[in-house]
Amino acid sequence: MISDPNPQDVTRILFESFPLWMLVTFYVVAIGAILVFLYGIWSQIRKYRRGTRSGAWTPFWPRLGTMFRLVLEHTTIRRRAPVAGAAHMFIFYGFTVLFIGTSTITLDQDITGPATGLHFWKNGFYLIFSLAMDLAGLSLIGGLLYMMYRRGWMALPRLDYHRPDRSPEDPDYDRSFYRREDWAFLWLLVIIGVTGFLVEAVRLVWLQHNPLVWDYRWWSPVGALLAQLMAGLGMEPEGAAGFRMVLWWTHGILALSFIAVIPYTKIKHIFTAMGSLMARDAQAKQRMPMADVEAERIGFSQLTDFSDKYLLNVDACTKCGRCHEACPANASGYPLSPRDLVLSLRELANDTLNGARMPAGPIEVIGTGVNMIRPETLWSCRSCAACVEICPVGVEHLPMIVQMRRSLVEAGEFDTMLQPTLKSLQKSGNSLGESKRKRPRWTQKLDFQIKDARTEPVDVLWYVGDYASFDPRSQKVTITFARILKAAGIDFGILFEDEQTAGNDVRRVGEEGLFQALAEANIELLNDCTFNSIVTTDPHTFNTIRNEYPEFGGNYTIEHASSMLERLIREGRIPQPAKLDYRVTYHDPCHLGRINGCTEAPRQVLQSVGVELVELGRSRDNSFCCGAGGGRIWLPDPPELKKPAELRAAEAAEIPGLDVLVVNCPKCLNMLEDGVKGTGNEGNFRVLELTELLAEAMGLDKKGAEEDGADEPGRSAVSA
Amino acid sequence: MKILVPVKQIASLDDQFEMRDDGRDVDDDYFEKDLNEFDHFSVEQALLIKEAAGDGVEVVVAIVGDDDADDALRTVLAKGADRGIRVWDDALAGADGIVVAKILAKLVEREKPDMVFTGAQSTDFGSAATGMALAGILGWPHAAVVSHLDYTPGAPSATLRRELEGGLEEVMSIRCPAVLSIQLGINQPRYASLRGIKQAKQKQVDELSPDDLGLGEDDLRPASNVRRMYVPERGKAELITGTAAEQAARLAEIIKEIRGM
Repeated sequence: MISDPNPQDVTRILFESFPLWMLVTFYVVAIGAILVFLYGIWSQIRKYRRGTRSGAWTPFWPRLGTMFRLVLEHTTIRRRAPVAGAAHMFIFYGFTVLFIGTSTITLDQDITGPATGLHFWKNGFYLIFSLAMDLAGLSLIGGLLYMMYRRGWMALPRLDYHRPDRSPEDPDYDRSFYRREDWAFLWLLVIIGVTGFLVEAVRLVWLQHNPLVWDYRWWSPVGALLAQLMAGLGMEPEGAAGFRMVLWWTHGILALSFIAVIPYTKIKHIFTAMGSLMARDAQAKQRMPMADVEAERIGFSQLTDFSDKYLLNVDACTKCGRCHEACPANASGYPLSPRDLVLSLRELANDTLNGARMPAGPIEVIGTGVNMIRPETLWSCRSCAACVEICPVGVEHLPMIVQMRRSLVEAGEFDTMLQPTLKSLQKSGNSLGESKRKRPRWTQKLDFQIKDARTEPVDVLWYVGDYASFDPRSQKVTITFARILKAAGIDFGILFEDEQTAGNDVRRVGEEGLFQALAEANIELLNDCTFNSIVTTDPHTFNTIRNEYPEFGGNYTIEHASSMLERLIREGRIPQPAKLDYRVTYHDPCHLGRINGCTEAPRQVLQSVGVELVELGRSRDNSFCCGAGGGRIWLPDPPELKKPAELRAAEAAEIPGLDVLVVNCPKCLNMLEDGVKGTGNEGNFRVLELTELLAEAMGLDKKGAEEDGADEPGRSAVSA
Repeated sequence: MKILVPVKQIASLDDQFEMRDDGRDVDDDYFEKDLNEFDHFSVEQALLIKEAAGDGVEVVVAIVGDDDADDALRTVLAKGADRGIRVWDDALAGADGIVVAKILAKLVEREKPDMVFTGAQSTDFGSAATGMALAGILGWPHAAVVSHLDYTPGAPSATLRRELEGGLEEVMSIRCPAVLSIQLGINQPRYASLRGIKQAKQKQVDELSPDDLGLGEDDLRPASNVRRMYVPERGKAELITGTAAEQAARLAEIIKEIRGM
């Protein structure tokens, strides 16, 4: 177990002058700590495996590689928090080097030494490692001190664990346990780091007459400095030997305790975050989970419906609060914080799945009890995926929310306002309660015929979508887009009465059976048509056809209108438009920008019409949802709450001299026009679709403007 | 214990439509078929009673219609009705509420329910006759426009409230078995998910013909016939504005126009 150091070599002073009983005690404690650690790991894995199997870690090696790259580069941790990300990097690399260093000592001392007589922990290797360990210790302590400052003095709202959707009498209101745990964790690591340096320093003082130690002291620069200081203050080798014993044991016991408590505390994020990142679904924002609609049950209503991956997800959360800050529902005062949702699930799992036995009955997840998810929380979501986008540890909140909504829809537990919408979708394939026959009515406003893609081949099949077909304001945009396509000489057609909604919002609201029926019907129809590619002005339709239809056998080339327009301008199919003298800002639709990465084409179109683009504070992948997604456009917002669109309109209003808030989605148009009115900005700037701005630059807005005036709400003439 | 709920598949009309060539109905192309709005409420009422009673209450839904009507039937089966009966024969194409009531009366003989709930009326023809006629044929008590119901399965009577004209409400008790025509708003009907509707295909639906029920050709002759259906000419209205003299001048002009002067 212990071997004499070779007097010819410099090496690590480890158990020097330890009596046997002390060595035995140390090894007993160390082995005990490791056993406690291993038991904890096993019990956590048992907890995750009480969920369903996801298979999310295959293929294993590529996923492992991607995860290590993310962790080593700290890509996800540094996003939108560069300083905290850097501090975490200091802690991470400090800790990792110290951990590797300590592990190799164990390897040398307890494995290769006793087994083969090979000791590598000496000479140059030792000296370089000694230096590296000192620097790592500095890095660790520095990072930790910054984090203490950040938690203690910066008062960041994202680190406030109080739940905005609970009242002070609720037991899960302030979550002060988390705060105490954070501080205990920080102090524990700082003390381990500091005692490490101190033990190094007193060892040098103690062995200052041993040239093998003292002459090489500057390879441990921090320890050497402290040792100089201590010696200068009059510490003698004998006294140092006593201090060394006390500090050595303090450091050792703390470090071993740290290892033992890893699986039981937030420290476990070391492992859970890596496991979670490894299981991350690159399409989590784009594609909601497939479900067997023929099965007995659908969706998640019980904790054991959650997969092992999701149970690991909720354990990986480090409460960094980035999702809490990004969520439009939370920002508008709705009872949803993605962070709190995840933490409720975590605590529920810890309360129920951690024991040796499973609880007797089903573990209901949705309800009003402590750590249960309230239905109104689930209905607050806009499916904008801002939470999934920014989560540094790969938590996939959105699919979990949709899964829980599925069980609510199946049980019929939802806002009664949603029922007419869903019935209309079942009956006529649109969400606006209109008849199928009315869908192509907007084409009557055109002075040319649009081809019927059902009966003749077209180059481009235009999937119009619900709002673009029926909403009176969006109809004008739809007509405008048709004129632009005509002007560019595009061979295009539509599906007339037979088009039904693509189903993005139907799926996200949780009506999976209806979504699948719509998808199957639409794909059958599309497969009967002859076309080269699909275009749509609706980012929701775009997302679903692009990302969700392939799973149902619908594989198409699809472009969003803005990408197509950018291409047509670039290719010269649309003549260089005139310059418009506007100061504009651009609102990225979630389903186009963040979810599908189409952020630059719309900006290039803006550039080509010569407007001055002033970016909003939150844009591109950090765009702030208008509030329409996830079926929320069908549900009334309570009047006492601010609408996300109003917050967004207020953000735009901060831009001095703004003429136009440019949107690029029929639903954003609908919501933001209301938002602009709701914030009293009606006279200050206009809300226009990108298409409308381009049409103006092309001079198309003048032509035929008089016969425009899309379908007004209400009944049109009866023909007999 | 059994509740029979007759339902109807109605035609909801598009706002632009054309008449059938014979001028007696709207062209089929301009309909969308749907479950009668009132029947969502009558079915819900039966299901609420079933759920409150625990086991032992069977909810049977019946429809008179061709195989298109299966959609409506499956919607109510998806909501939780136990089984369905569909009665059809091409001879029923012109059936009115009285003929339907005759068929339903035969179904009541066959099924022996403890209660029958119908919708107060249908949203397409709105005769509100079927429930009343059924009660008449059966000799059962009937209450129309029921807006509240207290009924325990197996009880000899039920207490109910009815909406009357002028905002009045009537509370009455009714001897059971009875036929109740259920008004909108009596409850909050549940949603039938599309998944549920598909799965309802597995529920039992008996397909019967009038013949199976012992009804002959004479029984199926409707009591009324549609002779013509048309869109009435729109009346004209004009708001006359301006000074008194201007208004008088315009009025005179209109009178002259109408008299053809």
